[in-house]
Amino acid sequence: MTEPTPLIEVEDARIRHLGSPAATPDGVTLTVSPGEVVLVLGPSGCGKSTLALALNGLVPHAVAATLEGEVRVAGVPTTETTVAALSAHVAMVFQDPDAQIVTGTVLDEVCFGPENLQLPVDEVLARAERALRQVGLWERRAENPDRLSGGGRQRLAIACALALGSGVIVLDEPTANLDPRGIDEVYAVLSALVRERDHAIVLVEHDLDAAMGLVDRVLVLDRHGRPIAEGPAGTVLRSRAQELLELGVWLPTATLAGLRMRAAGIPLPELPLTPAELTAALDALDTAGAAPPSSPTSRSSTSPSPTSPSRPAPTSGTTPPSRSPTPSDAPPPTLPEASARDGAAPAVRVRGLRVAKSRTSILHGIDLEVGRGDFLAVVGTNGAGKTTLLQAIAGVVPPPKGTVDVLGLDPSRADVRTLARTVGFVFQNPEHQFIRATVAEELAHGLELQSAADSSLNAPAIADRVNRMLDRFGLAGLRDAHPFLLSGGQKRRLSVGTALIAGAPVLVLDEPTFGQDRARAAELLGILSALNAEGTTVIVATHDLQLVADHASHVLVLTGGAVAAHGTTGAILGSDALESAGLRAPALVRALRATADPRWHGVTGLDGLEAAVRMPGPAHPEPGGARG
Amino acid sequence: MSAADARAERRTDPYADARDWGRVRFLHRLNPLAKIAGPLPAMIVLIFSHGIPVPSSFLLLAVALLVVGAHLGGRALLGLFVLLPVAMAVLTVSFALWTDASRVSDTELLFQVGDYRFHAGALAVGAATALRLAGILTLSLVAGLTTTGPDLVRALVQQLRVPYRLGYTALAAYRFVPRFGHELDVIRQAHRVRGMAHGRGPIAAARRHLGYVVPLLAGGIRHAERVSLAMDSRAFGAHATRTERHLVPFRARDWVFVGAFWAASAVILVVAAALGGA
Repeated sequence: MTEPTPLIEVEDARIRHLGSPAATPDGVTLTVSPGEVVLVLGPSGCGKSTLALALNGLVPHAVAATLEGEVRVAGVPTTETTVAALSAHVAMVFQDPDAQIVTGTVLDEVCFGPENLQLPVDEVLARAERALRQVGLWERRAENPDRLSGGGRQRLAIACALALGSGVIVLDEPTANLDPRGIDEVYAVLSALVRERDHAIVLVEHDLDAAMGLVDRVLVLDRHGRPIAEGPAGTVLRSRAQELLELGVWLPTATLAGLRMRAAGIPLPELPLTPAELTAALDALDTAGAAPPSSPTSRSSTSPSPTSPSRPAPTSGTTPPSRSPTPSDAPPPTLPEASARDGAAPAVRVRGLRVAKSRTSILHGIDLEVGRGDFLAVVGTNGAGKTTLLQAIAGVVPPPKGTVDVLGLDPSRADVRTLARTVGFVFQNPEHQFIRATVAEELAHGLELQSAADSSLNAPAIADRVNRMLDRFGLAGLRDAHPFLLSGGQKRRLSVGTALIAGAPVLVLDEPTFGQDRARAAELLGILSALNAEGTTVIVATHDLQLVADHASHVLVLTGGAVAAHGTTGAILGSDALESAGLRAPALVRALRATADPRWHGVTGLDGLEAAVRMPGPAHPEPGGARG
Repeated sequence: MSAADARAERRTDPYADARDWGRVRFLHRLNPLAKIAGPLPAMIVLIFSHGIPVPSSFLLLAVALLVVGAHLGGRALLGLFVLLPVAMAVLTVSFALWTDASRVSDTELLFQVGDYRFHAGALAVGAATALRLAGILTLSLVAGLTTTGPDLVRALVQQLRVPYRLGYTALAAYRFVPRFGHELDVIRQAHRVRGMAHGRGPIAAARRHLGYVVPLLAGGIRHAERVSLAMDSRAFGAHATRTERHLVPFRARDWVFVGAFWAASAVILVVAAALGGA
């Protein structure tokens, strides 16, 4: 394995999409040798996915883009052959599991590729069985792929790639559309593949917490698609972590934690890359002679941090310019709502909510109170009823009368206009809710509806509010663009803007980060945290538990249509409520819980980590004594 | 998932494997093309037929074939023995009411409302039309209730030499239907909460539906592009033919079925003509 012939050689590749002024990626050179695992990193829009598509010839054969330079697969330039011929050498797994299924059973699906290659039936079946056994789906071969979970369908896609018998598997954001359980399933399969070293793997991935343990080498592209670093994963990430962070590349949570700790004055000899390394680093810290710290109580739940938005630097590159003071440098604002929360009437009150769809009970008896100014995260596995609960609260699907109260309003009786003034709903896919032909009209729409009842809302007043909203979300330059022609992040910002413009004090979002890359997710969360800091009550359904830990003040855990747990973020993450609901605590919490020293155990977010680092206080000597 | 759910799933699953229900339920073992080719002449005859004997004979033949040769679920039985007779009765009366009374004035007068006369002959004309429609329907069910979509595509590719790219693309596109249905629901909800629901009447409704088209198309085109990239990446179209794991052969019994069906059709027509002529 020391002197293998490269499977893929990329030489100075520049790819320009039709109608795009610049090439992304721009000048990438890369070789992939048998058995190695290469991770491609870079901020959103740098051309990672485009590069992935070039590796099996989809660029330029099937995608409208020009390729300069050369991509050679098994020595043959991709431009001189076909995608179909290349598929025997390079297999692809895409982001959306639904968009990769073409047949009616799991077995047929895996056989589809080998059949297209005209292999004899025996060989097709032998390959299918081997591939399905590798991903653990052989027992379910007769089922319709629709009946598999998201993680199951993505494992099926990996089996399909394996069955092609190609030396390289390219995975383009394979876990972006999955819930935590699905991500675990996919990485369990990938780990097994990596152990066998039969395949080279090229991975484009944002969830580095899961990926880091597998990767040999990383290639980092900058915002313009130019390669800025390439080398062994550990070396690149450790030596250039700060630089990557500033570039907008999402780092493993453990590395972020390490950077924070260094910034707080703890001299970590080596930046941790995985939760296990973070645990080890913290344990090493404690055994290095620190006095036992005073036992902390659950810090995150008592500190004011829940209402203070916190997002580390990666947002900086993509945040809308209008949001100038990044919340993390500002002192946590003390909100009147936050202090008066216990006395005031709740923003949302749900009593005995039962919802059934086509005679299947989805929610059975939900009782819930959401305080004004809370940032509530609703978590649970797929099918737990998160979306249904959110839709009932926001009146998207009217709940039974008298079961939901949003600031004194019953969504089941309210008309659209009153509802829009009280609660804004942001759909998972922003495109679904766009109804006008320009960005400015889209924002004005909600106000125009209100103006029928409110004479003070005349045309100049509407224009003024639209302009302010455009500025706030960094969309001023796009006011006459068609909403569908915006980028993914811009669409998301516009959809939040339309939900807010009528002045709704409660904002409900269904999986706002689903299928998005980390930079966009962070940008959106920054916006939500800023809104929350201004007093907007935010309710979010999400799978992203680290996001929960860093932003939410409260967490609601749903299991099978009922409330399993509800409390402050610190209390929920500190308990085993997530695990008993079939979820997994975020990487940071897991790493910290595994430490020997209990002072870390109650910490849930990066902010809490800093607090815990400072915790021993001046009275306790800190190892290295480098603090302050 | 309960057993009932699993059953419901299987019933609505267009890809469920064709099951073998044994020797007696022979229709499931025949080539889909044979099940279409056999009844086809009879269906064409029914379009142009008159009177009651010919359509009722074909109706009986088709129902008998289905009862013996096909495994019928609860729904199919309900449709065949409850809904179909009811629909035929309704059609008979409706067509009878529309029949020109002067054409059947030589038959017995059943009742009269003002100038409107209803003769027994009108009922016969109505019944003939209803029987023709029911006959064509049940003949098409001989293949329809016993064939799966994938098998039909395989037969088209294997026997009729339809290009496989066409057939398998059609099958892949079939998967889009439930997805689009779901997507349309979500778009409707979204537009309703955004206040697009205002206005009644056909013009407002048309505007509303036009509003659904753009997001649905945008989503649909993107999905189709992704599916096509995924299919390309898996060597779809690499060669002029592909390995067929599921052979849907056209065997001797398929020829026998087609021949027997044609013969039976001919006998029915000849006998009916002889009786009618007599």
